[in-house]
Amino acid sequence: MTDSPTSPVGAPPSNTPARPQGRATLWGRLGTSPGYQRMVRFLFASPRRQFWLLAAFPIFWVFFTHLGPILQMLNVSFMESYPPSVNNSQAYTLASYERFFQEPIYRMPFLRTLVFASVLTFATLLITYPVAYVLARHVKRDNQMILLLLLLIPFWVGEIVRTYAIMILLGNNGALNLLLKTLGLIERPIPFMYTGFSLSVGIIYLTALYMLLPLYSALEKIPASYSEAAADLGAGAWTRFRRVTLPLSLEGISSGATLVFLISTGYYATPVLLGGPSTTVFAETVAGFFHVAGDEWPTGAAFSVLMLLTALMITGAFMRVMKYLSARVVK
Amino acid sequence: MTRSTRIMLSVIFWAFLVYLFVPLILMIVMGFKDSKFIGFPIRSWTLQWYLGVLQDGQVLRTFTYSTLIAVSSTVVSLIMGTWIAVLLEGRKFFGRAVILALTLLPAIVPGVISAISFRIFARFLEIEPGMLAIVLSHAVHNVPFVALVVMARLSSLPQSHIEAARDLGADPLIAFLRVTLPYLRPALIGAAVFCLLLSFDDFVRSYFLGGYEPTLPVLIFAKLRSGMSPEINAISTVVLILTAVLGLWAERSSRKMQKGA
Repeated sequence: MTDSPTSPVGAPPSNTPARPQGRATLWGRLGTSPGYQRMVRFLFASPRRQFWLLAAFPIFWVFFTHLGPILQMLNVSFMESYPPSVNNSQAYTLASYERFFQEPIYRMPFLRTLVFASVLTFATLLITYPVAYVLARHVKRDNQMILLLLLLIPFWVGEIVRTYAIMILLGNNGALNLLLKTLGLIERPIPFMYTGFSLSVGIIYLTALYMLLPLYSALEKIPASYSEAAADLGAGAWTRFRRVTLPLSLEGISSGATLVFLISTGYYATPVLLGGPSTTVFAETVAGFFHVAGDEWPTGAAFSVLMLLTALMITGAFMRVMKYLSARVVK
Repeated sequence: MTRSTRIMLSVIFWAFLVYLFVPLILMIVMGFKDSKFIGFPIRSWTLQWYLGVLQDGQVLRTFTYSTLIAVSSTVVSLIMGTWIAVLLEGRKFFGRAVILALTLLPAIVPGVISAISFRIFARFLEIEPGMLAIVLSHAVHNVPFVALVVMARLSSLPQSHIEAARDLGADPLIAFLRVTLPYLRPALIGAAVFCLLLSFDDFVRSYFLGGYEPTLPVLIFAKLRSGMSPEINAISTVVLILTAVLGLWAERSSRKMQKGA
């Protein structure tokens, strides 16, 4: 933006030249008022001042409210006690981190969460890839928009409502058991609920669209002529998929999988409602430290930091690999 | 593509749609069951659960509370998201990449960790658990989405429009208010509704940051822990319908405006 402090500021808008000065639009009157002009001359006196006027508050905002909570969590995780004891200054210690590595009861939920999130991410990819493919390739353009809108509806409804819907589907008197019984496949209801199965169905239900949408937008960008060209050169359907479509959709896979992995490690209510004692995830472990009075907070903070770092390192490494793979495709 | 592959693909496609919609449909249907016991089969029907919800003072109060939180946090997200987008889009300055990364940070922190970090942060700022803490955490969580949507829209704003306004004597502030902001309208409407829905339906932040007054998802969670009942179905169905109507309306109007612009 060029700066022109000396130009006539706030002349009446050009579409009102015929109007008498007294009936100028509100904008015109504001722009010509001496107080406003003085303010503008002061505020936009130099490009430098203009920039800081625009930048100062957003920079403060992202450092304070976006980064601040994470830094304060890191800070608390090193504290000996929280809130600090009254009479002496705050002591820092690594005890909260040591607790994680020394007490094996925490290791299991931690590993379970990572394995679970990885497996579910992969399962979500396998389920949604064909759906995104059909949507991008075999559905008419107008219908694509309608279907996408339709798919968004469950996505808009929150975690709790959708988790509840899964509870009704999978309960002992749920729709699935009724269906199986009516078909004569079972005599007694299968206890789906409070198992790894019900939790998986629920998490995939919640995250599927975070995978589907990036996949769809990646697949939709690939021109149909690429596959046709490959077919003309004699490639079979499988080869065309493996050598053309799949490599070109790697970017969609990468962002979809990253999103789903990070989001599925962060669910709390769904594991509580759909899981059982054998599926305790780390989110539940960590939350436990915050249900009691403040003295367990450093441990909870340290465990959260460990979870966050591990999740970010895994997705970071994954994105690296995917980037390397798609770079090889372009060559 | 062979015939069998094609059939298999469409089977997966339709099965996925069934998976997505059947649980919600079942949930709606179950809200009309004339029995306290959740489960199939359904032998008789009633509207009593819906009537009960409409008369339930706690549900209505919670509904208002959640709406208030959603609206307040959306206003903050829209202002900050737009402000950051205007700063970042098409401007080069030292540290721009850092600001962009920090802007997007709340979008990649897993929900429960984000909630806990805000719990700790609220205590650090001496904010009691309650509405202010929830609004702040929802607003921060939604800023990245607003910033991304607005940046995408801004990148298609012809620079000549701004220049024309400046040539006609508009200062940067008036040029922003009268040229840029109207151009952003469809993006802002879409982003606003998205923020409203995310905030209204958020559970994990409201749960960790809430005081004694629950938000609607927290109330449903509490009721669910003491047992399933058709009353929960009725509440959830009302939420589902409101959400769907608001979302579809926003999609339609922002699409229409984008075509017109």
